[in-house]
Amino acid sequence: MTAAFLDVRSASKHFGGLKAVDDVSFAIAPGELVSIIGPNGAGKTTLFNLLTGQLAPSGGSVHFKGHDIGRLRPNQRARLGFGRTFQISQTLTSMSVLENGMIGAFLHHRGLEAAAAKAWSALEQVGLANRAAFKAGELTLGERRRLEVARALAMEPEVLLLDEVMAGLNQTEVQEIIDLVQRLNATGVTFLVIEHNLKVVRAFSRRVIVLNRGQLLAEGSAADVLANPEVIQAYVGKKGM
Amino acid sequence: MKNTETPTMLPPGAYIRTLRRELPVTAAVVAAMAALVILFAGDSFSLNILATTFLFAGLATAWNIIGGLGGQFSLGHSVFFATGAIISANLFLVFQLSPWLSLPLVAAVAALLSVAVSWPVFRLRGPFFSIATMALTEVALALAIYFDRFTGGARGLSIPFRLGLENMIFRDRFSYALLMVGYLALTLLVMAIVTRSRLGYSLQAVRDNEDAAMASGIDVLRTKLAGMAISAALTAVGGTLFLMFVRVVDPPTLFSLFDVGVKVAMIALVGGIGTIYGPLLGALFLVPLESYLRAQLGGSVPGGNLIALGVVLMLTALFLRRGIFGAVQSAWHRLRRPAL
Repeated sequence: MTAAFLDVRSASKHFGGLKAVDDVSFAIAPGELVSIIGPNGAGKTTLFNLLTGQLAPSGGSVHFKGHDIGRLRPNQRARLGFGRTFQISQTLTSMSVLENGMIGAFLHHRGLEAAAAKAWSALEQVGLANRAAFKAGELTLGERRRLEVARALAMEPEVLLLDEVMAGLNQTEVQEIIDLVQRLNATGVTFLVIEHNLKVVRAFSRRVIVLNRGQLLAEGSAADVLANPEVIQAYVGKKGM
Repeated sequence: MKNTETPTMLPPGAYIRTLRRELPVTAAVVAAMAALVILFAGDSFSLNILATTFLFAGLATAWNIIGGLGGQFSLGHSVFFATGAIISANLFLVFQLSPWLSLPLVAAVAALLSVAVSWPVFRLRGPFFSIATMALTEVALALAIYFDRFTGGARGLSIPFRLGLENMIFRDRFSYALLMVGYLALTLLVMAIVTRSRLGYSLQAVRDNEDAAMASGIDVLRTKLAGMAISAALTAVGGTLFLMFVRVVDPPTLFSLFDVGVKVAMIALVGGIGTIYGPLLGALFLVPLESYLRAQLGGSVPGGNLIALGVVLMLTALFLRRGIFGAVQSAWHRLRRPAL
């Protein structure tokens, strides 16, 4: 192996005096499924935004397949193979569910019918095909999250960043998403997942990165990291509960 | 349910209207409008109103590409309208260049101009963008009055009456009405092509959510600029046709915020923003209504026509959120649903 697949070096983002992400470094190998956990305000979403280009970094670099992508805009990174969902779901509310999927599919398919076919198969994968004709604004919260996953899937990404995609879903839906992620991961898609549900984290990720107050607190296998006293303290507060 | 023919193996749920399925509808709509003109042949008064209606229908359709599909609520389209009229007038007066030949030129100039002025303004979102386009109109008007060598200043420019198809000058109103139907056809065709293409989908995505659009690989600025350039080019063509229709133009009329900038946006809004045929419906309703009101109320109640139009706009905002086209569409779906 030459350079790492996704290599984050000393990534930093400061908002005024607040160091939302502070000197965070890690590397991801192709085909990995990594969870990022941490208490609220730990900087997880900010880190995601640095990776996808939604935010300009205050320092550090992001390399993808050996190329420095730290200054590329989100649409350019999407073209390189980054797909993402947002913590607060960002659907195209006045467009139909199918059209939402097509917006992702257009990245690699120019024609309308080719894009519609790709969008349809992405909707089937997340179980939304029966909602294809609905406006995205008419969907429930859980459906919107799955629609975001479908839009990202239609982009045929190499790396998929999911930001709390399970939040607000019921148990069956959570299990469906877990199955979907594992199925896609098996086909070679690399995943970076922000997740609060530790059961989910334990269930599917071999590696976990823990952020706390903008800094990398721990990194390792799910079992090790979740047993780490520092992590437990950061996560659930002081001992004694 | 009818079995729809699809060239690829798309399931019925993935049905989308492609350009090939759209064009017959566009052609039928244009044919209906041409039939309307033929119906009123010989009636100069009605033909005049029809010509104005189709001109504004075309302008509103052009505006709709960036204003409706792209959601960039420009109130500054009079600048591109005036660009077309002024350039064509100068080329005609100085070089005797046929307005037909200056059409591609004014379209190109307006497209370039729109990209140049929109580049900075597109950083602004929502109402701030609209306000900036209004300011642009005022600046352009001041410049136009200052450079009176080209614009005729406050007195304006007049085109000598030289009859002939090559000069786009006709004695009868019937020819002008048909000319405007042709303009409408051009704008509808372009709108249909844009709507049923990746650009149209990208414009809508940008309108709905810029962050989601960017994350999906859409270059937001480039999408907006492309939509604006197409819209401005078509608007400038409308400006040239307006010039040859009235033959006397002055900057205050051409750059008018209300009579052009706001009016085209209002027509699209009332008709059905973002839809292909909505602006045409809006123009068919508003332009004849306005000239009727002006004739009826203009003398007795000064400004009464504007009050009435304001009421129409308010009623549309309150009860027809998706315009006349949207209301017709929902009624149609309601009628069809029990049959399914």
